[in-house]
Parts: sequence; structure tokens; C-alpha cells
Amino acid sequence: MLTEGLVVVHECLGAADQRLRRLVLKGPIAKTAKAGQFVAVLVQDSSIPSYDPLLRRPISLAEISPDRDEITLLYRIQGRGTEILARARCGEQLSLMGPLGQGFSLPEVGELWLVAGGIGVFPLYALAQSALDQGLNVRLFWGGENQSFLISAGLPAWQALEIPLNLSTLDGTLGERGLVTEQLQGRLSELFGHTKQENTSSPQIRVATCGPKKMMQAVTELCVNYAVPVQVSLEERMGCAVGACLGCVCTLIDKAGTLSHKKVCQDGPVFRGEEVVWDGLC
Amino acid sequence: MDCVDLTTVLAGITLRNPVVTCSGTYGFGEEYADYCPLEALGGITLKGITPLPRLGNSVPRLAETPAGLLNSVGLENPGLEDFLVSYLPKVRKMPTAVIANISGFSLEDYVQMARALQVDSGLAALEVNISCPNVKHGGMHFGTDPHSAEEVIAAVKAVTNLPTIAKLSPNVTDIVEMARAAQRGGADALSLINTLLGMRIDIEQQRPLLANTFGGLSGPAIRPVAVRMVWQVAEAVDLPIIGMGGITTWQDAVEFLLAGATAISIGTGNFVNPQAPLEIIQGIKGYCEKHGLTSVRNLVGLAHKG
Ligand SMILES: Cc1cc2nc3c(=O)[nH]c(=O)nc-3n(C[C@H](O)[C@H](O)[C@H](O)COP(=O)(O)OP(=O)(O)OC[C@H]3O[C@@H](n4cnc5c(N)ncnc54)[C@H](O)[C@@H]3O)c2cc1C
Ligand SMILES: Cc1cc2nc3c(=O)[nH]c(=O)nc-3n(C[C@H](O)[C@H](O)[C@H](O)COP(=O)(O)O)c2cc1C
Ligand code: FES
Repeated sequence: MLTEGLVVVHECLGAADQRLRRLVLKGPIAKTAKAGQFVAVLVQDSSIPSYDPLLRRPISLAEISPDRDEITLLYRIQGRGTEILARARCGEQLSLMGPLGQGFSLPEVGELWLVAGGIGVFPLYALAQSALDQGLNVRLFWGGENQSFLISAGLPAWQALEIPLNLSTLDGTLGERGLVTEQLQGRLSELFGHTKQENTSSPQIRVATCGPKKMMQAVTELCVNYAVPVQVSLEERMGCAVGACLGCVCTLIDKAGTLSHKKVCQDGPVFRGEEVVWDGLC
Repeated sequence: MDCVDLTTVLAGITLRNPVVTCSGTYGFGEEYADYCPLEALGGITLKGITPLPRLGNSVPRLAETPAGLLNSVGLENPGLEDFLVSYLPKVRKMPTAVIANISGFSLEDYVQMARALQVDSGLAALEVNISCPNVKHGGMHFGTDPHSAEEVIAAVKAVTNLPTIAKLSPNVTDIVEMARAAQRGGADALSLINTLLGMRIDIEQQRPLLANTFGGLSGPAIRPVAVRMVWQVAEAVDLPIIGMGGITTWQDAVEFLLAGATAISIGTGNFVNPQAPLEIIQGIKGYCEKHGLTSVRNLVGLAHKG
């Protein structure tokens, strides 16, 4: 749907040099949205139409509160579009399209492992909340640059969920030093040993991941190796955000080896990891 | 005055209003259904199809420029056969005029598709995208060579009973020459303009931004070029024109009508505001009322007179 979101909170998230923002919008999207979906926000300085930037910006839903009709977007100021978005003030209305795309699917029972790289953690927060609501066990693996980043990007909110956290930083200032995938690998081999096996032992584990492409690819390879189902949330440059322009395709491969293109905006952004062709060319 | 007649006639088809959507920006008609009811539109133009399925170019396929969008989708489409089976049946039921768009890499490609698309298919018209390389002629674009353009349009006209719209490329020295060629080929109407060839370079990576290096520029950035071309063609050729290129507001649309377009088409503007077509229809109506015009048809080409 095309709708407006009233800015009720718009604040700096964590340390200023991290350039992260938290934006809470009031409007009807919360009623129908699910974790993994996104909105396409029109970024314009005040109400004067300008065409630079021209296109809307896709931002994931980091929190969905249907009871308060609120959605939370967490974003990093990246370029001109998000720079302009950051100027939106409380009381302003932002034009939104959404909820867009297919979200994550939750297992009925068992354990959900979230694997996040950097700000890829943002959409996983909404997923953690709905998984906990449903009574699933949730664990977060999260890797970032350093302690300042993790704390700025929402670590306190994750701690408040009281779930097990496996943190890693590149410089070792918080959690383990190294990559998030090393932590995931460690935990998988602890549970299942070093050889590939059918994941039939209880509790059943499902993985959902979001972050840099290379990281999601490595997570997928690990999961496939341990026969753990994995969902990945992809990013691509978007034009229409509704499946009409074919600007945002990704390449999938099915069991028979047939390649096809899917639209990240409409068929995704969440896909089954084992179906994704990571180098993208075909 | 509350009764402005918005209907318009184009290549023998009556449109409920002069507002259409552009090929390649409106999918196969269903994608925007939640945002803009099809029954409100004058018509829609479907994504360009080719005889065989195409996967198109690699990503990134999109890059923004000030007020513009570069795309290098590369004509990704399901191919003629799947189009006939999976899409055409739905198109039949759509409550608006549906224009199919065909692209080819040889004369035979165009003929094969035109033959399969007739009045009884439920389509209102056939738009022939000639902004493609002719692989049999060393990649020379159909749309930049008047002789090839005339030949393609004539070949299409010979095998289909649908009204035929020639969609012209702006990447030419003389748009009027191309419009005349399409007219000689027997085109019933003209669509202009297609995208302008452009590129961007990522200065950090020091590489072209688009995987395909070049892309077609659309959006408000190209509007003045499009208005100029519509104006020139309207002066020289007696065929109805669908004007397009950077329309996002009703004021833009009125500019095209005044320049000589019988109808206008919205492409990239849908991405910015998926309700732009609805607002533009209302805006055109309001403009006619304000200027004492009883029919939108009276607006067409008005800027040329006097
Ligand atoms: C489905 C989806 C969900 C997203 N969710 C979030 C989120 O929750 N928080 C967040 O901070 N960011 C998110 N992003 C990335 C965000 O859309 C980009 O950071 C933003 O568009 C950058 O715009 P800009 O004008 O500031 O930057 P510029 O770099 O100037 O943008 C130039 C162009 O590239 C596009 N672009 C740039 N980076 C990306 C990217 N990573 N992915 C897709 N397009 C990009 C822009 O949309 C724009 O068209 C998401 C992207 C997608 C596709
Ligand atoms: C993503 C995209 C895909 C397009 N695909 C086609 C196509 O398949 N066939 C065609 O004739 N024109 C295609 N076009 C061109 C548009 O139909 C239109 O002529 C052009 O974009 C100018 O209008 P606009 O500025 O309103 O977008 C495409 C344009 C865009 C932006
Ligand atoms: S952005 Fe247009 S199809 Fe995905």
C-alpha cells in the first residue's frame, strides 16, 4: 500500500560517528507487516518536491508494533538519500510503500539461530521478537567492526531480550576476535561434530541471516554442510520495489540445476540460502 | 464546468483518458494493482517481449543520476510462448486498454511476434520497440537507421491486424527522419521517447557502475529532450503521438499534450509515486476546466498555434 508514516521518534542511535539512526513511524503498515519485509521510503527534504534523489529508499522493518501502529526503521547514513532522510523531523509525514516483499518464515517449534553481520542485524530484531512471541528458542550470532559499533547498533536492546548472544568483533574489543562465521562454525561442530549429517537430532535448528553478501554465502555453506535450513535476506538496487521493473533480480538455482531470476523486491528479499547463486552472473 | 471529456482516440482505439503507463516500468499489469486501479487508466503498456526468453543483464542494473535513472535490464522477459500461455489470458480480463511491446534482433523476430498477436488476443495495440541492435546487420540499431525502421514497421503491419505503434529511440541525429520512416512503414501511431544512452562511473571502484557499462536514461532529467522531440515530430508528421519521458506530474503531462502528444505515458514516475497516473488524470481534468476546454483532445498541439 501507499501510505504515510508520522515520524514519532527520530534519533541518533549510539555514537554519533557510527551515523546510525532510529526512526519510528506511526501508520497502518504495522497491522499487516511481518519480519523480513521492508518499506520504500520517499526521501525528500521537507515537502518541496525534488528529484535528487529520484527513487525511494528500501529500509527493513526492525520492529513491528501492531498494537501501537508503529514500525521502527534502523538505518545507516550512507549517501545522499539517507542523509536527506535523516533530516525528517518529528511530526512530519513520510510517504511509504509497504509492507513490501516476503518476510522470513518461522518454524513451528525448535530453535532459531540468527546470524548477523554489521547492520544486517536490524531486520533480525523484528524476527527475534516474533520468534520469541511464538515460544521459539532464539540465539544471536553477531559480528561487527568493534565494541563501539555493536553497542551503537542496538546491543542493549538485544541484551534485553535475554537470549544467548555470540558476539564477535574484528578487533576483539567485544566478544570473540574474528568473524561471526567462526562462531557459527564452532557452535555447529560442538553440536554435530565435524562431519556432515542429517539434522534430525532435537532441537531442530533453523538459521536466518542478514549481512554482507560474502558473509551470507559463508553462512549458507556452513548450514548446507550441516543440513541446517537457512534463510538469507538479500539486497539489490531497486527501482519500483513492487516487481514491475526487473531492476533488482538475483539468480537462483533449483535442485535440477536450472537457473532463474527472481525479484529481490517481490519474491524476496528473503530466499532459501541453498538456492542462491552468489556470484550472481548467468 | 464539471464535464470535461477525457476520452481520446489513438490509432483507432478509444482510450478512457490520455494517461498510459510505459513499457518496462509496469510489469505485465498486475504489479501496481494495489496502488493504482487499472480501470482508472487510459491504458497500460506491457514489458517488452522477444521471441525467446531472455535473462537480461547482470546486476547492478540500475543507477541513479540527478533527476534520472539509468537502467540496463537488458530486455529480461519470459519469451513469446510463455507470454501467450501465462500472461495473455490475464491481460484479456484487464479493465483497460492493453498495449503489448515487442523487441527483436532481426526482422524475423518482429514478424514472428506480430503474427502471434492479433486483435482477437484481447490486446488494444502493438508497440514496436525499435531501439534494439539488428544482429544480422552488424548490430546497427533498427531505431537509428530509417531504412531498417521502415522495413520493420512494414513487416509488422503486414502480419498483424492490431494497430501498430512505432516506439522511437531518441539516440538519433534527426528524430523527424525516423518518424517519417515509421510513417512510410505504415505505423498507426508513434511513441516517443525511449531512453537516452548514458553511463556512470563509480569513482571509488574506478569502474562503470552498471554491470552492462551503459544504460538507458529515463526520468525527469530527459523530459525537455522528449518534449522537444514530440514538438518536432508533431510539426512534421500527421500521426498521433504517445508522449513520454520524465513525466511525474500533471503539469509535465500537459506540457506534452500542448507539444502535440495525443496521449502521454508514465514510466519512471510510477517508481517515485505509484499513484502518479491517478493524480495526473485529475490534474489534466482540472487544467481543462480552468482553461474552459470541454475535451482533452482540444489541448493536443495547442502550443503550436498562434
Ligand atoms: C530490501 C532492503 C532492505 C534494506 N534495509 C536497510 C536497513 O534496514 N537499514 C539500512 O541502513 N539500510 C538498509 N538497506 C540499504 C539501504 O537501502 C541503502 O543504504 C540506501 O538505499 C542508501 O541510499 P543513499 O542515497 O543514502 O546512498 P547512495 O549510496 O548514495 O545510494 C545510491 C543508490 O544506490 C542504492 N543503494 C545504495 N546502497 C544500497 C544497498 N546496500 N542496497 C540496495 N541499494 C543500495 C540506493 O538506493 C540508491 O539508488 C536495505 C536495502 C534493501 C534492498
Ligand atoms: C526499467 C526500465 C525498463 C524499460 N523497458 C522497456 C522495454 O522493455 N521496452 C521499451 O520499449 N521501453 C522500455 N523502457 C523505456 C520506457 O518505456 C520509457 O520509454 C522511458 O523510460 C521514458 O519514460 P520515463 O522517463 O517516464 O520513464 C524501460 C524503461 C525503464 C526505466
Ligand atoms: S525493484 Fe523493480 S522489480 Fe524489484
